[in-house]
Amino acid sequence: MRKIFLIVLLVGFVGYAGLNLAESVTPYVSIAEARATSNGVQVKGLLDKNFEPVQRGNEFDFSLLDEATGETMRVKFDGMKPDQFDEAYHIVAVGKYEAADETFHAKKLLIKCPSKYEGQKPQA
Amino acid sequence: MTGNLFLGGGLAAALATMAICFAQKIPSARLVKIFAATSAGFVTAASLLLWILIFENDFSVEYVATYSSTTLPTLYKVSAFWAGQQGSFLLWLLVHAIIGAVLTWRRTSAAALGIYFLLQSILVLLVLAKSPFAKHSAQVFEGVGLNPLLQDFWMAIHPPIIFVGYSLLAVPFALSLGTLLTEANSRNWLEEARRWTLAAWSFLGAGIFIGGYWAYKVLGWGGYWGWDPVENSSLVPWLLAAVLLHLIKLAQKKSAVLSVAHVAATFTYSLVIYGTFLTRSGILGDFSVHSFAGSDIGVALAAANAFVLIGGLLIILVKAKNFPQGKMYDAHNSAAFMILLSCLLIIFIAAIVWIGMSMPLLSQLFGEAAAVDTDFYVKSTAPIALTLAALMIYTFAKFGRMISLGGKIAHVGFLMMLAAIVISAQGETVTQEFQPRTKVSIAGHEVIYEGQVFQEDEREKFYVYTVDGEAVKALTKLRGNGEDAAREPAILKNFSGDVYIAPHAPKIDDVQELLLTKKLFALDGELGYVFEEAHIDYDEHGQAIQATAAITITDGEVEEVIHPLITVTPDGGSSKSLEVFNGRRRVRLTGISGDLEKARLEILPTYEKLSSMPITATVTTKPFIWLLWLSVTAICVGTMTAIKR
Repeated sequence: MRKIFLIVLLVGFVGYAGLNLAESVTPYVSIAEARATSNGVQVKGLLDKNFEPVQRGNEFDFSLLDEATGETMRVKFDGMKPDQFDEAYHIVAVGKYEAADETFHAKKLLIKCPSKYEGQKPQA
Repeated sequence: MTGNLFLGGGLAAALATMAICFAQKIPSARLVKIFAATSAGFVTAASLLLWILIFENDFSVEYVATYSSTTLPTLYKVSAFWAGQQGSFLLWLLVHAIIGAVLTWRRTSAAALGIYFLLQSILVLLVLAKSPFAKHSAQVFEGVGLNPLLQDFWMAIHPPIIFVGYSLLAVPFALSLGTLLTEANSRNWLEEARRWTLAAWSFLGAGIFIGGYWAYKVLGWGGYWGWDPVENSSLVPWLLAAVLLHLIKLAQKKSAVLSVAHVAATFTYSLVIYGTFLTRSGILGDFSVHSFAGSDIGVALAAANAFVLIGGLLIILVKAKNFPQGKMYDAHNSAAFMILLSCLLIIFIAAIVWIGMSMPLLSQLFGEAAAVDTDFYVKSTAPIALTLAALMIYTFAKFGRMISLGGKIAHVGFLMMLAAIVISAQGETVTQEFQPRTKVSIAGHEVIYEGQVFQEDEREKFYVYTVDGEAVKALTKLRGNGEDAAREPAILKNFSGDVYIAPHAPKIDDVQELLLTKKLFALDGELGYVFEEAHIDYDEHGQAIQATAAITITDGEVEEVIHPLITVTPDGGSSKSLEVFNGRRRVRLTGISGDLEKARLEILPTYEKLSSMPITATVTTKPFIWLLWLSVTAICVGTMTAIKR
């Protein structure tokens, strides 16, 4: 009785957590891979300097550059331009690519500034 | 060098303490006390030395040059100690060593002391592996200084409190393993472990809550809780420590619970080290907004982690046959059952957070790297937390009389905290452009944006608002070149909650750059500029201090000669803007060529113009958010109160 109770709880939890996890996991992919799937992914890149980022109402529009391949992709972020966007070294966009408008629709942007916590190397 | 010698002394004395505790049948209490105090003394000396190096601006030490500077205010020089990874490990070691010395004066068993000083030795090795005393080859005369974001009062107390919590958690772990090594079925360690765990829980909790409050009053950290790996990695041990506390308490009455209390002690401390490994090794670099530069300390941390977890579990397994058998609880409608069930729910929550924060690692075992989005945490933990709250209320109503006063305060605080998290999230959020001095009605509040105010030294500016007739301002710290370095919201605190205004960085389009050649005339559209000459000043070491230019400005009738300058700093240079020509122009010198033949001048909008430009801001109401600060205070105070008895 006691053991069954515990097992039911544990199995129930594993199933519950597993289901939630499967829904929320977003793999880390390159721009080319992001274009090839309609699932939620995370793409890391640099800001494409050839495209001036623009805020239109509640939508922020910029272009992401793949460091390795040089491929670029338009990103529309559903929100305001993040605070440290201009200092960003890497940008991680979380969302999915939509073939209809050839744009990556980002739910979230992670802005990485290399000097934020670890110090910069002092220069002579 | 001296610093590393001190650390070496600390290591030797810690190893000696451990050896005496393990080797002698009845260890000499006097020797143990002396060696433990010696180890703590050496570690304290090393720490004082690091502070001295920081205060003496000894930039030959890389750590000092990276995190401090001559101009850093005293309070931030104190906290520059733990601004980087090396220093924060030393801080952890310092607290651990002091607690270790205290432990030898209490009636702690020799085996437990042996384990504790084994951990201390590992910590010294970790500090030595990446020493804060390392010199660097480059010769510098000024340090980079503390990141403006970290130049905050809370930086002075948040990390030390977290590390006090981490160090205190080593005590129940050492008591548990020490007991297992000698008399596995003993319950004598439980009372001592209970009190140390209570202290650990309230310190770690206080550290987490202070971090949350700090993140709330800074922009860019995602509010008081952002499910960032760095936050999660302290939350998981805190949750596990809560489980440990309850199992210890239960084991004092029911011997059958003893085995799981041991397991909880091992897991709790393993997760402390695991969290450090995850956030300090750099492996999460791509997944966290807290970016730590990658480092080779990861392998050492992983080894330490495996050592603690596998070592602890192995000893538990070997000794398992000695554990008292029997039932963990008598009836389903008993306090014991409710507590055990609650513990299971807390473990579920901890497991979800652990899976989420470890996903970047776990996913790589099976294939491509992946991460979870933060919704995962909220979505999966909310129903469990709700069940836990219901269970707590029921248990409280039925068995509340068995709980001590401190326990009551802490439990009510915890329930209040869950309620405050839900209530404070029910506010409204509005993002819009604010015209200066124009009244706007948002979520029942009258908001007027008054403009930007610049400090004299250009290191700070404020966005000033009037909310319901009261003035509030949002601070933005500026870099030497005038860019934003760290931003804070404007907060109006009320009984009904906070009005939280986050101004967005203004887009300044009309910055014009003039490239001036010596003696040649240049025009910015209206005014003319002639670059007359430039010179560079050197200090006694032959290092450039500043570059000054002389530039004549004219509108055809009046002439004014200005002398803008660039000050040399470790990260390049900084240059103040000048208001010239009766405030008609604001200019900044941004570069001078090596041959002093060319100069670059920025023509910026005047302060008056900046102050009157519209600013976009996000306004959020946070209903009864003070309830959150009150409830977490109750948790810590209540837990502290429960230590006595």
